[in-house]
Amino acid sequence: MVVVDAATLAKRELNRKLNSLLAEGERSIEVHNPGSMHNLGTALKGGGEITVHGSTGFYTGGFLEGPRLVIDGNTGWYTGDNMLSGEIIIRKNAGSNCGPSMIGGTIVVHGNTGGRTGLGMKGGDLLVLGSTGRWCGQMTMGGRIVILGEVGAGLGESMYRGLIHVRDPQAEAKLGGNVEFHPISADEVESLAQLFATHGVQADPKSFMSVRPMTSGRHHYTIFNPQLSGADGR
Amino acid sequence: MSEHERHGASLEKSTKDPAVREEAHSTWSREVLSEIRYKAEHGTHRIRGCGTPRPFPGFNDLTVLPSQLTRMAVDTYREPCETRTVLGKRFCTQPLVVETPILISGMSYGALSKEAKIALARSTRMVGNSINNGEGGLLPEERAESYRQVVQVLPSRMGFSLRSIEAADALEIIVGIGAKPGLSGHLMGSKISKEVAEFRQIPEGIDLHSHPRHGDIFGADDLVIKMEQLREVTDNRIPIFIKIAAGRVREDVKIAAKAGADGIVVDGAQGGTGAAPVVAADHMGMPTLPALVQAVRALEEMGVKDEVSLIVSGGIKDGADVAKALALGADAVALGQSVMAAMGCTVCRRCHTGRCAFGIGTQDPELRARLDIDTAAKRVANYIKAMTHEAVILAKASGKTRLRNLEREDLRSLSLEACAMTGVPLVGTDFTFTEPFGFF
Ligand SMILES: Cc1cc2nc3c(=O)[nH]c(=O)nc-3n(C[C@H](O)[C@H](O)[C@H](O)COP(=O)(O)O)c2cc1C
Repeated sequence: MVVVDAATLAKRELNRKLNSLLAEGERSIEVHNPGSMHNLGTALKGGGEITVHGSTGFYTGGFLEGPRLVIDGNTGWYTGDNMLSGEIIIRKNAGSNCGPSMIGGTIVVHGNTGGRTGLGMKGGDLLVLGSTGRWCGQMTMGGRIVILGEVGAGLGESMYRGLIHVRDPQAEAKLGGNVEFHPISADEVESLAQLFATHGVQADPKSFMSVRPMTSGRHHYTIFNPQLSGADGR
Repeated sequence: MSEHERHGASLEKSTKDPAVREEAHSTWSREVLSEIRYKAEHGTHRIRGCGTPRPFPGFNDLTVLPSQLTRMAVDTYREPCETRTVLGKRFCTQPLVVETPILISGMSYGALSKEAKIALARSTRMVGNSINNGEGGLLPEERAESYRQVVQVLPSRMGFSLRSIEAADALEIIVGIGAKPGLSGHLMGSKISKEVAEFRQIPEGIDLHSHPRHGDIFGADDLVIKMEQLREVTDNRIPIFIKIAAGRVREDVKIAAKAGADGIVVDGAQGGTGAAPVVAADHMGMPTLPALVQAVRALEEMGVKDEVSLIVSGGIKDGADVAKALALGADAVALGQSVMAAMGCTVCRRCHTGRCAFGIGTQDPELRARLDIDTAAKRVANYIKAMTHEAVILAKASGKTRLRNLEREDLRSLSLEACAMTGVPLVGTDFTFTEPFGFF
């Protein structure tokens, strides 16, 4: 186990140091004093686990490829943007736009996330144990989002591909456009149970519903929606 | 004959009267009527390919002054004039070096056929310039053939990953394009073939209105941090450009420069597209000429004109445009519609239908087979060579041994409008209207 004091390093030096430790085969790295640093963990590669004691800023673990990055605190916006593989575990909350355009790997947020969780996501798993804000899963092209708590309005707006599981009883009323709301399938229950088991989550997969892209794939947009009053329009 | 029929017959007669028919109506033109009919029928706005057909003031409204007694001409045929151009050297270690300051702009695989993309890429090896992948991923065939490869970072991030960054000679973060600023990529269902759909991770045959904003850049402050991230990912090796549609150019360029761009691409309102709402193409944005002037002013006001490369696009068609753009302060230009035209496109503006008869803007296997890749590549290379000749001819005749030595003082405006817009003096006077452009 190696301890790195982030307070003594500029962020690029920190990431470089982490990457060289990982390349040398170090399996366990502890980072202290992250000081809400932006871009912490950019493009880290290889195996190993990095635990950050404290909160981080924007773009935590962007372009991650391989390692497990544990943030024992909060993260700012855009956590795990464009990540390819590996894991990002956030013990507290993540800001808005968590996991944007992520391609693979897993993000687990123990607390809540802001709006647009998983925006434009292309693959991987994004698991939020708390609640999330508006437009969760907007325009996803793949991957799976699981929200244990409440969701905001515009859920799954215009998904192209991918899957969202929710158990917020109000979820259906908060659906965005161009998505469908279905009971969870047997295969999905099984796969979700595995995800929960992997991350020690106590929840019944059967209590979830599935938000999916429209079967036709053809989106419809309303640019003008006149609110006519009365049956005769007067 | 009823009253109505009589009225109809007399109308018919009157429209056949040559005196009446020849009179073009300024408001209810054929195009306007066609637009109205389309909207009346479909209840929605119209989509079209290519750039706007509206006339805008452009580089034709400027003329280049020849050298005579004030300076010596350089021999067109026997003396050298440097065209090699280094772009984006501000913060990176390997700037983009091209043999001519004429680049191929980002046009997506999807909007264009694979054959057209390969032909464009192949042409870059003949002239030593760069191609840009455009939206929806980097075709391995394009990368294999390109001399220099620019890779776009688009809001949709379709087909984009760390792997595309590794394959790039330069990155270009897209904020918008001139043909439809503020709107996202449109790719109509007829062009989303199985292959394109798989490449982009979207369902086959849908009408795609892709992501309008970057999921990981919500505003200029975030862009600053994003740029730092991309610098780190690229290890400062390759240049990072930011492409904007010409709108509030002076401010936008300053923001892009402040965010740390090595180069800024400004795409004027005449710029091409594979598909855009007609209303956006026709009624939004600033034409290329005044946009370039605004961009130059912005960089000069910040004192970074020599550091930040400026690339301009939108309606660039010949070497005279290139020479004038460079004289005004551009470091390079980028081409879309004109290289399509070099491959055989007639700018019919029906790219969005996917029925391109020349195999360029289509995914239909039969139509695609009509484009001969080698011939198309050669024609594009020829066209860019000839354009470079033209620019060099003008530069040498005005006494320059380097294309980039063309300067504002070499230009005069041919119209009041161009003069007022650019601050370049009107021919026959030493006067400008509004803000002068800094050489008197
Ligand atoms: C068929 C076609 C597809 C295009 N696709 C993209 C694209 O994917 N990304 C982008 O930034 N610009 C795209 N553009 C805009 C060009 O990059 C460029 O800004 C524009 O074509 C320049 O204007 P010009 O066509 O008049 O030369 C496209 C243009 C055309 C004609």
